[in-house]
Amino acid sequence: MNEQEDFSGRLKVLAGLMVLVIAVLIARAGYLQIYEGDYYAELADGNRIRIIPAMAPRGTFYDRNGELLVKNRPGFTVSLLPLTSPISDDVIARLSDLLKVPTEEIQQKIAAHSGFDPIRIKQDVTPDIVSILEEQKELYPGVVIEVQPIRDYILKQMGSHTFGYVSEINDTELEKLKDQGYKSGDIIGKFGLEKVYDKELRGQNGGEQVEVDVSGKPVKILGKKEPIAGDDLVLTIDKNLQQAAEKAVDDQLAAIHASAAAAVVMNPQTGEVLAMVSRPAFDPNLFAHGISAKDWNALNNNPAHPMDNKTITGEYPPGSTFKIVTGTAALTEGVVTPDELIMDTGHHWIIPKGNSGGEALGLINFRQALAHSDNVYFYEMGNRLGIDRIEKYGRMFGLGQRTGIDLPYEAEGLVANRAYKAKWFEDGEWYLSETFDAAIGQGFNLVTPLQACMVMSEIAADGKRYKPHLVKRMLNPDGSVAKEIEPELLSTLDVPPNVIKLVQDGLHDVTKYGTAASSFRGFTIDIAGKTGTAENSQGRDHGWFVAYGPFDNPNICVAVIVEQGGFGAQSAVPIGRKILEAAFSENAQENSN
Amino acid sequence: MGKNFLRRMDPWLVLATAGILIMSLVIIGSATHINTPGQERYWYVQRQGIFALVNIAIAAFFMNFDYKMLEQYGNKLYVFNLVLLVAVMVFGHSALGAQRWIMIGPISIQPSEFSKLIMIVSLATMLTDKVGKIRDLHDLLPIAAYVGLPFLLVLKQPDLGTSLVFMAIFFGMVFAAGINWKLLAGIFAVGIASLPVVWHFMKGYQKMRIMVFMDPNVDPLGSGYHIIQSKIAIGSGMLFGKGLFHGTQSQLNFLPENHTDFIFAVVGEELGFIGAAFLLLLYLIVLWRGMKIAQDASDVFGRLLAVGITSMLAFHVLVNVGMTMGIMPVTGIPLPLMSYGVSSLTTNILSIAILLNIQLRKQKLTF
Repeated sequence: MNEQEDFSGRLKVLAGLMVLVIAVLIARAGYLQIYEGDYYAELADGNRIRIIPAMAPRGTFYDRNGELLVKNRPGFTVSLLPLTSPISDDVIARLSDLLKVPTEEIQQKIAAHSGFDPIRIKQDVTPDIVSILEEQKELYPGVVIEVQPIRDYILKQMGSHTFGYVSEINDTELEKLKDQGYKSGDIIGKFGLEKVYDKELRGQNGGEQVEVDVSGKPVKILGKKEPIAGDDLVLTIDKNLQQAAEKAVDDQLAAIHASAAAAVVMNPQTGEVLAMVSRPAFDPNLFAHGISAKDWNALNNNPAHPMDNKTITGEYPPGSTFKIVTGTAALTEGVVTPDELIMDTGHHWIIPKGNSGGEALGLINFRQALAHSDNVYFYEMGNRLGIDRIEKYGRMFGLGQRTGIDLPYEAEGLVANRAYKAKWFEDGEWYLSETFDAAIGQGFNLVTPLQACMVMSEIAADGKRYKPHLVKRMLNPDGSVAKEIEPELLSTLDVPPNVIKLVQDGLHDVTKYGTAASSFRGFTIDIAGKTGTAENSQGRDHGWFVAYGPFDNPNICVAVIVEQGGFGAQSAVPIGRKILEAAFSENAQENSN
Repeated sequence: MGKNFLRRMDPWLVLATAGILIMSLVIIGSATHINTPGQERYWYVQRQGIFALVNIAIAAFFMNFDYKMLEQYGNKLYVFNLVLLVAVMVFGHSALGAQRWIMIGPISIQPSEFSKLIMIVSLATMLTDKVGKIRDLHDLLPIAAYVGLPFLLVLKQPDLGTSLVFMAIFFGMVFAAGINWKLLAGIFAVGIASLPVVWHFMKGYQKMRIMVFMDPNVDPLGSGYHIIQSKIAIGSGMLFGKGLFHGTQSQLNFLPENHTDFIFAVVGEELGFIGAAFLLLLYLIVLWRGMKIAQDASDVFGRLLAVGITSMLAFHVLVNVGMTMGIMPVTGIPLPLMSYGVSSLTTNILSIAILLNIQLRKQKLTF
């Protein structure tokens, strides 16, 4: 019985709570509808609420020394605010005349639009148009000027493949990114770092919910959200070195009448990319406010593909630069000793393949073979190693897989191997001549210029393979550090130190008395290098040069390829030399500071 | 029992429920007719109306059975509930980032709606022999764990709204079961102290909703937009409203989801304070009769069942209507018997049916 009474008491409490709930809700409704009713009625009258978005400024790019690379500038956008009554044909005609936008296009935009945010008619108009619209406001009811940040690539086409470009989001991208808060009309990164770091760079758009008068003029702000700027990126790029590298490439291309080339400069001890050049290039500013059909066709129809970043998407036979891999394999596997002399009679004794110039060097050891890039010596190394061991070392150096650099669309390259041949060729059997080709970097082998640079870097860093990267740190809008990117050691070559030392010495000899010696006469800094010539079935051969320095304590590694440039020593080496000069003079400046 | 149960049914509860259902159909019609083209103009109304009738028929059929039978199935229902909630996680479709659905033929089922009622039945079964014996933590923990498991599954979906409803049901029923006052105070103290931890585990958009609730201007273009527009709709209805089909806010797309979660805003705008207060009073009648039925129930199981159902309805009304008027955060809880949605409608009509069933069987005690 006691229980029953207790229960009744508790029910009374619950019932009281419920009465309270309803009472509070009725009171709240009364407050909104009776006490504040007039105010809300006015707001609702004629649907006076509009949304005016404010685009967040995109994060800017700085070089490693704090020099500005990519920024935003204010741009004026002419928009129409939807009114309760349709916008008159007079206004549309007047606007069409002023903006040089066809009336049909404006009408189309109005028809396609729903909701109450502004209809963008023309982005990035000139200040004269803005002042005309401001002065003759009465003639343009419902027309508003929005100030929006517009991406400004101040270096024009310099570094364009690395920085990338931005443009309005398309339907496919929107479908994929909708869940992450992307909206129609958003500007997003489409290429390069702009694409990879879009989430960090874009910030958060803000806006105002405003009350407008009959002519669409905002009279009261009902709600406001400040846009939050995106994170800034401090790149590993050195602006001066980038500039020097671009100039070196351009000068050489002009001198030898070639049109495509790529160059990568990095620090082998950290994986930081200091400069990256790909030719031909494009001006990313063209995309900032919608690229014209003419410009787009010009870019698309250029046979040298200006939109490709050849440093990471160009796949070329490594040519003689691959002898670094073959040589490392031969010494490590013990198929040859450093001092063993091999007879070069101009061609190999099993298969009559020889040196490209047909010369015969006689009896030579490992260092001499590497310095003179002797094919017969390395054919024999291939013969002794077999394709499987060459493949193993190629993969150990990181070839045949993406380096993982923070850029989109990186190519994997290819390490010559039996499975590939068996899969793609009718006669899937592997032949010794193909092993010979693989040993000197021809045949199936393919590398990107970045991968070629990585192979050289690993030798320079005593076997350490660091992940190449372009961003050093990210900064919050207030300038504080949001994230510091530390060097990431991916792997270490499983090779005895003395083998690496022997390869280093051989590469050093290349610049002293070998294939690149004549170009480096009088060069004050001790360096190591390797030339190469990649056979090209489509035309002239591609010229390669890879190098690192200073020899004793390397912090610069460079890879250069000139498409259809002929011998590496003549096409790529002069570019490499200029880049190294610029890099070491930067070094000297830093030391003196 | 035969036909005479119709005459003995609580007329207040039946009339109030019928009143709400009729208002619901009218308002859904008003909220959707503008945005729906031509022939499909009354698609939502027809669908909601048909399901209401089907549910009422099912509910009438179940009147022939004694609600006490449910007690035997309490534990089985509990297990079924867990299976259902796990199934949503595995097979569910997500919509609007939050709710989860399972498609069965042409009908999309939202199991978390049904799970509330199932939870009430299982918890009533469990609590029946514990009434007056919840004195310390040792007594409470098994009960908390019993509710906690499905609670976490719903929270994981993520459906914050429904998981809060679970908590309301739990507190209503445990309170009615005579939990020790000090223990209750202790739970609240711990609950408040652990809010920072809860905050930590909330998703970004959930945090945003709480922040928007504190200050709608935090996100005037996102969820704050709903609240600002909903308040304008209700406020501009003033005393008499703009008339059915004449609410400018509701009709011109300013107010999203106006036939589901924000349906009260349409009532407020088109029927004014008079209509809004009338609807709230109808809810008050339902809640009052619910408590009365609990009071008069012939057994402990019936009492707990009635308390659970009434608590659930009260919490829904508070959170949903409060949300549209800016005094509760946006959680996506529908307004019972009003909001468009088959799962919610079915659950609520069955809930009312169970209340009536308990009421019809109370006389047995006096016989």
